[in-house]
Amino acid sequence: LQVFDEEGKDVTPHPLFHSDPNTVVPRQGKLLASSAYFGATGSVFLSSFSMHQPSGANASLEQKRSCLLTSYNFSDVQVRQEEIKEELTKADLDRRVDLYLTETETIWMLDMPSVVVSVESEDAARVLERNRIYVDICTNRPGSDRFVEKMMQTVNGAAKNKEVQCDKIIMEDKGMMVTSWDLYDSFHVSEIEPTSKAEGSRTPTGKSSKPHTTKEHNQTMSVSSDRGSTTSTMILESAVLGRIHEEEECHSEAILTSENFQQDLFFMERILMENIFQPKLAAYRQFPVLTDPNVTSDTNGTVAAVKEAKQEKHDKEKKDKEEQKEAFIDPSILSGLNKTLEEIVPPRLERLWSYVCDLTNGHSVSSMVWSKVNPDLLAVGYGAFDFKEQKKGLACCWSLKNPMWPERIFQCEHGVTALDFSMASPNLLAVGMYNGSVAIYDVRSCNDAALLDSSESSNKHTGPVWQLRWVEQDRGATGDGKKERLISISADGRITEWLIQKRLDCTDLMKIKRTESEKKKLPGEKERKSEALISQQAAGMCFDFHPKDTNFYLAGTEEGHIHQCSCSCNEPFLKTYRGHKGPVYKVAWNPFSTDMFLSCSADWSIILWHQDSQTPILTFSSATAFVHDVMWSPKSAFIFAAANESRVEIWDLSVSTLNPVISRFANPRVKFTSVLFAKNTNCLLVGDSKGEVSVFELQNLAAPNSNKV
Amino acid sequence: AEVEETLKRIQAHKGVIATIVVNGEGIPIRTTLDNSTTVQYAGLLHQLTMKARSTVRDIDPQNELTFLRIRSKKHEIMVAPDKEYLLIVIQNPCE
Repeated sequence: LQVFDEEGKDVTPHPLFHSDPNTVVPRQGKLLASSAYFGATGSVFLSSFSMHQPSGANASLEQKRSCLLTSYNFSDVQVRQEEIKEELTKADLDRRVDLYLTETETIWMLDMPSVVVSVESEDAARVLERNRIYVDICTNRPGSDRFVEKMMQTVNGAAKNKEVQCDKIIMEDKGMMVTSWDLYDSFHVSEIEPTSKAEGSRTPTGKSSKPHTTKEHNQTMSVSSDRGSTTSTMILESAVLGRIHEEEECHSEAILTSENFQQDLFFMERILMENIFQPKLAAYRQFPVLTDPNVTSDTNGTVAAVKEAKQEKHDKEKKDKEEQKEAFIDPSILSGLNKTLEEIVPPRLERLWSYVCDLTNGHSVSSMVWSKVNPDLLAVGYGAFDFKEQKKGLACCWSLKNPMWPERIFQCEHGVTALDFSMASPNLLAVGMYNGSVAIYDVRSCNDAALLDSSESSNKHTGPVWQLRWVEQDRGATGDGKKERLISISADGRITEWLIQKRLDCTDLMKIKRTESEKKKLPGEKERKSEALISQQAAGMCFDFHPKDTNFYLAGTEEGHIHQCSCSCNEPFLKTYRGHKGPVYKVAWNPFSTDMFLSCSADWSIILWHQDSQTPILTFSSATAFVHDVMWSPKSAFIFAAANESRVEIWDLSVSTLNPVISRFANPRVKFTSVLFAKNTNCLLVGDSKGEVSVFELQNLAAPNSNKV
Repeated sequence: AEVEETLKRIQAHKGVIATIVVNGEGIPIRTTLDNSTTVQYAGLLHQLTMKARSTVRDIDPQNELTFLRIRSKKHEIMVAPDKEYLLIVIQNPCE
């Protein structure tokens, strides 16, 4: 389109804007929010536009294009763009765009720096004169004749209005609440990705140790993390942090079989237990049990408002830190406190709970032992009570945190008759069985198989292993420091030490020979022939090493004799104590006054001996029943517990030597078979012939003192 | 497997009213309640868990929510949250 005036001059209106063919041209099409990317359609297009003025038919179209161009290119002019010739792809929209904002240099329009002249220079006078004149002029200017205000007209270019149309610029408001963890996550996503591979390999090992979380072991234990209150490591925490990035969908099976789910279930169960058993556990731990004032429930009602301390579910350290806020005033304690001297509340055993589950029903508890490292972990051996009915036995590890299901269940071929935890490597549990074999289990793994078994050993016991103990020995001679030995005594009359190597093998410490009892020769009797002994050896039933000097030990036999022996000499016995008329089921040194020991036997009596005297010091018999087990209290030198068949008794020698202080009857048809004191609390565990291990709290027992007798 | 056993034991416990397992999208996978109640619990607890998790992480972004317990007059709701699922157990402890 060309316009000519009268003279034929070309006065075609030029486009308002001459674009620089070198600048980047925006793509024809949608307006882009980000000005960083432009499609490179041709500068060709632009130049063609500036060259011709297309005909009116396309005028509107061109105009539109021009609008596009102008609107864009204005921004172009103002901001310097780098020439980027890229096609904008969909991926680009998602890409992270870095926008850099920079400041241009300051453009100086007029720079008249002031000049400072010294007063003493040559020009000083002139400069001062000029300054003075200038000041005069300034002051004179407003009113004087020499200065006149005059208006001037400047040339104004002809203004032309031009309308421009553009596509509506669509603006969207987008807001977002950003939380600090969101920021943290975004920054750390890039960091986590490369490390997740490394952690992915680490978590399986971490997770395999998770099941052991139930054990509250110390750092010293090789078993990893512990749950709840105990102090052990937080391996679970690392498992949580090092989550494997899984791209799989949320299949329900995947969820149900995931490790995390198992973990969660495990903890959930524990928490449930805790809710159910809270008052009992509180009593166990000797916390004051409080009542919840809001709960208007039954007399028993103590619902704990337990503070949430489970963290790490994975962190098992919280157990001890849980605090119970409920209040339940135990009437007996309260009355005990308020009593005047006249009334003394008699000591009693209060039943807290029982460790029992379906699996153990029907088996009889043969032995119980605490873990050496973790005072809340209990190992219980189950075997048949009568020797006639032998079934398969079990050894279970129970934890305080779950009284309804054992943490570990080890099935054994034969009935379990003895158990002990090792001290040096606290994850080892030695189990002695009815057929004379000894097996060692590792409680860290859930595996049912024994680590070591003595079945292949040629030297193994031929009779039931009645007692097992890990004993620390001073091996001064070999300079080895304290080493631990596994010693067992069995019905075939041998006391053997087991060596833990690839296979379990043993050497004999001692063989128990039969001794003839002293017989009174009745007058007039013929001389009898010496008894023809069926076997030279007497069956050993129990033993106990001296608490101070582990060279000496006592062994009780089936004939009723107790022999004192020493490890260092092979000579049969140092001393023999005769007093029982039936098999001695248990001997126990007094942990405080180490010259005394107790023994209990099937002749219905418990005898207290002094080491140096061959005759009994005191005899306790209170029932016509076998006494299966006896144990000194770890807190007091005077107190011990005994399990008769139908009762469990607590004797306190400082109070009375004729009668037990507390006596508790069992349910009918159930016999008590073993007792165990708890070391860290005032409780007594009693095992019975139906497989139940009941936990009793000893209340109001006299204050313990460990003076020697 | 062990998971099944443990789940069964939990469900059989004294005082446990319900056990619900919900996947990441809020759909119940396992439940011992009727469907409508389950869906209600799942939805509400999911939101609460998100809020709780957000709270914990706002205070310290390196921390993470591991367990949530809500004690009410009638029962106690325990939630074990995870990225892919929610394990919810409702227990009435005062029996």
